[in-house]
Amino acid sequence: MNLPSEAPPSRTRWRHRRDRLATGLIAAGGIGVILAVLAIGVFLVVEVVPALAGGGLAVERLHATLTPLAWGTLKAAFWALLFALPLALGAAMHSALFMSPRLRTRLKPALELMEALPGVVIGFVAGLVLAPWVERHLAVAALLLVTLPLGALLAGALWRWLPVALRRCLPLAWAGLWLVPWLVLLGWGAVALAPPLEGLLFGGDLRAWLDAELGLHYAARNALIVGLAMGFAVLPSVYALAEEALAGVPSGLTEGAQALGATRWQALWRVVLPAAAPGLLAAVMIGAGRAVGETLIVLLASGNTALMSLSPLEGMRSLAASIAIELPEAAPGSPDYHLLLLAALALFAFTFLVNTLAELVRTRLRHRYHRLGGAP
Amino acid sequence: MSGSRHLAWLLLAGLLALLATGVRAEAVGTLGAMGSDTLAGLMLRWGEELTERHPGIRLQLQASGSASAPPALTAGTVRLGPMSRPMRKAERAAFVARHGYPPVEIEVARDALTVVVHRHHPLEALDRETLDAIFSRTRRCGAQQAITRWEQLGLDELTGRIELHGRNLTSGTYGLFRQRALCGGEYRHTLNEHPGSAAVVAAVGETRSAIGYAGLNHLTASVKALALVDAEGGLHRPDPEAVRRGDYPLSRSLYLYLNLPPGEPLPGPERAFLDLVLSPAGQASVTALGFVALPEATLVSQRRRLGLAPLPHD
Repeated sequence: MNLPSEAPPSRTRWRHRRDRLATGLIAAGGIGVILAVLAIGVFLVVEVVPALAGGGLAVERLHATLTPLAWGTLKAAFWALLFALPLALGAAMHSALFMSPRLRTRLKPALELMEALPGVVIGFVAGLVLAPWVERHLAVAALLLVTLPLGALLAGALWRWLPVALRRCLPLAWAGLWLVPWLVLLGWGAVALAPPLEGLLFGGDLRAWLDAELGLHYAARNALIVGLAMGFAVLPSVYALAEEALAGVPSGLTEGAQALGATRWQALWRVVLPAAAPGLLAAVMIGAGRAVGETLIVLLASGNTALMSLSPLEGMRSLAASIAIELPEAAPGSPDYHLLLLAALALFAFTFLVNTLAELVRTRLRHRYHRLGGAP
Repeated sequence: MSGSRHLAWLLLAGLLALLATGVRAEAVGTLGAMGSDTLAGLMLRWGEELTERHPGIRLQLQASGSASAPPALTAGTVRLGPMSRPMRKAERAAFVARHGYPPVEIEVARDALTVVVHRHHPLEALDRETLDAIFSRTRRCGAQQAITRWEQLGLDELTGRIELHGRNLTSGTYGLFRQRALCGGEYRHTLNEHPGSAAVVAAVGETRSAIGYAGLNHLTASVKALALVDAEGGLHRPDPEAVRRGDYPLSRSLYLYLNLPPGEPLPGPERAFLDLVLSPAGQASVTALGFVALPEATLVSQRRRLGLAPLPHD
């Protein structure tokens, strides 16, 4: 009834004009955003370079201040990625290739919801709830950290030895569900077993034992806590991107490999992973970018100690957290202020580069899938 | 018809009454203030009381740290600058260069930094050298040896590394503690730097091996404030009397800086505000928020200097 051919010519012209207007507005918005991002960079450069060139910032002071911050940033990001990458990539592989579609449609939104959690909330919980709890129950936390990943691996090994009838009851596609009671059981076992174990092995106080025997100091706010909390924050975005890359591998490739006699596992390792590798790399880079730029979690959970230690049990101080704490009170034009702006510039350059690279890789991957005949 | 005329008369009378109250309050306007976040709660409370007394005056406060007060005063964006430390020479010089006269400094309350430990901590008092040896790596106050473990203090009940908590680099509290307690030295790198005094207290309150410093008004039941021992061996607890007298070594004054050309009388809103702040009622708010009120002699002399009416005696 309302087909375009029946519409009067004036209306078609109006519609064309509206289309062009909308396209123009969208383009203007895009260009505006790009200009805004560039303007941030230019502002930072303009503020920092004269101070650097004019000798307003002494080199040794620069070195002494910024090195621990850069170190802390990388340390926090490292522990966050160590925690998040195996979980996120493993979850992505499982949900893209093995999981039952019904479970997948329920789980994916839940994980995406996790991404919507603000960093302040995660940092608050990590700094004010998790850190004191772990400090009081260090042995329990340590045992949990060992048991849960090993338990998940053990479940996989046990599953292969199960009788066929039982295996049918616990299909791999639903592993996401039946692993939960298993891990809860293990966790409960760890909580119950930790105090007697601590008494037996470490004289009842793991913290004192670490201090006396290994000379390791346990700080309440440390890299492990930050890693756990920030890993939790980074996980959803890494998972979403990796899942997208894996699920996007043209099904023809997997089916072809399996038709030639490859097992599902072989198809995953030899065909799907190499094909999706750039996408996975992009996911990891986005995760790293987020971990480096994440501010409030580090600020609230790390203790902000400007240390240069390797120990995961000691705190650190990151560039982003320093800027957030100090900038509001730094007098504009003072050396402190220029130092902070320099830190901001370094952070900006790093995240800008990493994100741009990741986006380039993803675009190339999309073209590749397109050529291979997958979904566009 | 007569109903609407009545209404008009009523409106007119109301307008006149409004004008009359305005005239009686003598001051109408907005007071802009920018500066210390330590003083933010107190300033807001004074602002509310001010509006209660003089409905025409409103206080507009931006609490972005003491360092933001001098530039704002110099640029003339505000006339009041609350600060938790005295103005530095350079800040004062910038003000004088712009306006040709120095800003008026008004002491409005006293405060103290307390050294806090966990509420079940065995320690009761510390002397200056020990405090410095715990917090600093320079030991400028004269201690022989660095102290990093509780055993070194001869405590039997508590062993292990000392965990240090404090404020961030640009805060006035960080600078003041460094200057007074560390004899101007450098903090240890292991200092946990928190964005607020409340966070320091919370962190110390949950760890037995921790020690930190925080403003007097942030103390909670979860921590214990240590007494300080001076060079003569006198013990000073951070109680209000000792802070008011200035006996407690880490006492400090909180200030309000005012842009007022010399010889000019205070404008209405500023006069009303300072009249409140330097009155028993204003000082009661100081006490209510956990700071220490000024001695009466200081109130009287500052009121005289500012040309305010003498304190009402009752």
